[in-house]
Amino acid sequence: MAPWTAHDRPFLDPAVVARLGTLELKARTIVEGFLSGLHRSPFKGFSVEFAEYRQYIPGDDLSTIDWKVYARSDRYYIKKFEEETNLDCHLLLDVSGSMGYGSHHGMTKFEYGAVLAASLAYLMNRQRDAVGLTAFDEDIVSMLPASARPGHLTALLVTLDRLRTARETNVSKPLHQLANTLTKRGIVVLISDLLDDPDEVIRGLKHFQFRGIDVIVFHVLDHDEIEFPFDRATRFEDLETNEEIMAVPGAVRDHYLREIGALIERYRRDLGAQGIDYQLLDTNRPLELALLSYLSTRSRAL
Amino acid sequence: MSFLAPIFLAGAAAAAIPIVLHLLKREPEARVRFAAVKLLKKAPVEHTQRRHLRELILLALRVAALVLLALAFARPFFASGAASASTGVTSVALDTSYSMSAPGRFARARQLAKDAIARAPAGDLVSVVTFDDDARIVMKAGSDRVLAASAIDEAAPGFGATRYRAALSAASQQIAGRRGTIVVVTDLQENGWDAGDRVSVPEGAAIEVADVGALPPNLAVTEVRPLPDRIVATVHNAGARARDARLHLTIDGRAAGDARVPLGANQSGEATFAGAPRGGVAAVAVDDPDGIAADNVRYALIGGGSRPSVLVVTGSGDPARDAFYVQHALAAGAPGTAAFQVVNVSGAQLSSWTDDRIQPHAAVFLLSTRGLERRGREILSAYVRGGGGLLVAAGPEVDGDIVADVLGAGSTLRVAAPVAKPAARTLAPADVRHPVFQAFAGNGATLGLVKFQNASKIAGAGCQTLARFTTGDTAFLECPAGDGRALVLASDLDNKWSDFPLHATFVPFLHEIVRYLASARAHAWDYLVADAPAGVKKAPGVATVADAGRSAPRRIVVNVDPRESDAGRLSVDDFRSAVTRLKDEPGAEGRVEARQQEDRQHLWQYALGLMAVLLAVEGLLAARTA
Repeated sequence: MAPWTAHDRPFLDPAVVARLGTLELKARTIVEGFLSGLHRSPFKGFSVEFAEYRQYIPGDDLSTIDWKVYARSDRYYIKKFEEETNLDCHLLLDVSGSMGYGSHHGMTKFEYGAVLAASLAYLMNRQRDAVGLTAFDEDIVSMLPASARPGHLTALLVTLDRLRTARETNVSKPLHQLANTLTKRGIVVLISDLLDDPDEVIRGLKHFQFRGIDVIVFHVLDHDEIEFPFDRATRFEDLETNEEIMAVPGAVRDHYLREIGALIERYRRDLGAQGIDYQLLDTNRPLELALLSYLSTRSRAL
Repeated sequence: MSFLAPIFLAGAAAAAIPIVLHLLKREPEARVRFAAVKLLKKAPVEHTQRRHLRELILLALRVAALVLLALAFARPFFASGAASASTGVTSVALDTSYSMSAPGRFARARQLAKDAIARAPAGDLVSVVTFDDDARIVMKAGSDRVLAASAIDEAAPGFGATRYRAALSAASQQIAGRRGTIVVVTDLQENGWDAGDRVSVPEGAAIEVADVGALPPNLAVTEVRPLPDRIVATVHNAGARARDARLHLTIDGRAAGDARVPLGANQSGEATFAGAPRGGVAAVAVDDPDGIAADNVRYALIGGGSRPSVLVVTGSGDPARDAFYVQHALAAGAPGTAAFQVVNVSGAQLSSWTDDRIQPHAAVFLLSTRGLERRGREILSAYVRGGGGLLVAAGPEVDGDIVADVLGAGSTLRVAAPVAKPAARTLAPADVRHPVFQAFAGNGATLGLVKFQNASKIAGAGCQTLARFTTGDTAFLECPAGDGRALVLASDLDNKWSDFPLHATFVPFLHEIVRYLASARAHAWDYLVADAPAGVKKAPGVATVADAGRSAPRRIVVNVDPRESDAGRLSVDDFRSAVTRLKDEPGAEGRVEARQQEDRQHLWQYALGLMAVLLAVEGLLAARTA
């Protein structure tokens, strides 16, 4: 996967996002920029709650013309409606120690995931979807129930801001716990590096599927974890277990790349087979791509 | 192991560079806190200890490569015994001159030499040199004493004469700048040192003399002179009591006469074998079974030894008037015989000669140019340029222009009549080693007794000044002319400008001049063993030699050096006094030998080859470690 550069696409470089101040600013910058870049929003006008009139311009859907107003004023007006949500979105953010890895420039996986979660929350909140946050490592660390209240976004962002990575990962356990608590259909967004037993992880995600909940998996990996660009003998220390391994990259690179490739392929294949959206995210790549993935899943869920 | 250029070993300090880099610039071990370590677990992970070991091996390889490079530049070699400066050397110089051949003497000399080898300090190297006229290294400095003893056993006395200078030089060479002892096993003959001989030995070398003892009573035939009407033999009794010497003459192997000469202690006597000798080679032997065998017989060519002829050119051609002293001086010789045959000719008479007529003369003395016409000058000039020798006594009867004409167009010799008022002056040789001063045993000062009242001015750009007057003017010149040579004396030889003819030095001086001038032309027939021509066995006897440029081979006789029969002996202190101590030039000889050894061994090539191999291994190992 070639590293993304700012010249290639009109998206924000994660390194730039990382330098922005608060998480809210980051989320807003990403989401607003992302939305304004869309040519046509398919996500407007599916609600029944009236919002405003707007003069017809060629290209507008004729079905949205208010003929009563036309009869009164002899002008075409489009009737616009506020969106109305009926989705509960649950953001599951992995805060295990392994998410603390980040290469020298840019963000750690956790920061990337946090900004992604904030952006999604911002987007959801803007679309009046109820959004909740669950942070976990080997257990649930923090849980914020889904809500669409205006002040909820702030609370969610503050929660995100306070999270720190620390312990080992056990993805499946919190997944099962959360699946058991969710009663209303909605969307679960898992943001994790998935460096866990794939069988357990997939089983946990199936649990959501079983309960009729759509699942989006954002598999966040650092560029170094995908490419393994190390060149001199290095002592690798596990972020979670502190286990150390001395390795000569030249000797282990092929093996490592095979392993990580197999892991990614396993998730892509097995999750795809279960109808679960799987998106591999390189922390070098723009967050907007993740948002696009989310929105396409949401539209399918509605 | 020794080194030819040990300074380069300092380059081995460069080996510290990788060590220092290893220690100072050692990068802190890269540590990465990584998330996906579990994926690395199954990979072929290198253990830390193994890597550490590999790094140490790499470091050792690099250090070794640098050390080997420095080693190669230092040109290492394994010093065999001779080049090791720390080892002492005992060098035995064994006299093999013919004076050692008397019965029992050489066995004693061998025993003394072996004793010296046995006494050599343990661990010291030993070498054996045998010497007579020349020195021969029969065993180079080495540790094998059995070999040294064997070399001594194989040595045998020859027919040469004793020469200590050659022996000490060769023995010093074996010591080659180290400490050591030179043991000279000899009979300490006085004649072993030539007049003025000095020899230098290294300062660290002690000299011991193992005295074989005095010569036994010995009779020696020291000279055989075939004369037209008789053969005269000289016999010497080197013993403390009077003896009768019985001499036997053989001509071409046939007995031709016997003689008996009574001799007192250390006395010489002559035996005359009457009758005109006919035949080729005369050999005179003396009965001396208990003495030295080598000097009991002496050979001479009959008719081969006619006296050299000297042509004396005077103004009148009357020797009694113009060349009285010269004629008598040249004619002087051993009793009953003249040293040289003198032929007198006036300048005018010479002009009527042919070129062939002047050729047989061994030398020409030009005492006057009066009456020397052009033809006469051309004859003289052709003689000199053809290899002849000319003595010009630039007295009052010699014209400088004519002399220049005689020496030819290329000559730069200028002879001018004296301008200064007569004033007494003496002569001092500029180079006493020149052959014309040989008769004065290297001491030319005896010529200083001669008073010169007047002298011509002589000078020549290409001429060698042999002597000067005390006034600073040139007194005696040697000028090359074609293949010959001319000696020019700035005064006369007739007791007019100088009193030279009245001095005892006059006769030997003229004789040496004639011998020197004649040496370029004369073909000697009587050789000493040491001077025998190449290809002739170094032993007394008769031989035939073919000279380059001569169609017919000639016969020669080879005799032992009669000086060796002289019983005169040195004391050990006298012997040592002729030896000069030379401050060791730090092992010049040793350096040469070391260089030769290094050249033979070529260890630097192996060092470089090994370095290349190490670097190749290092490259492979480093590539795997990277």
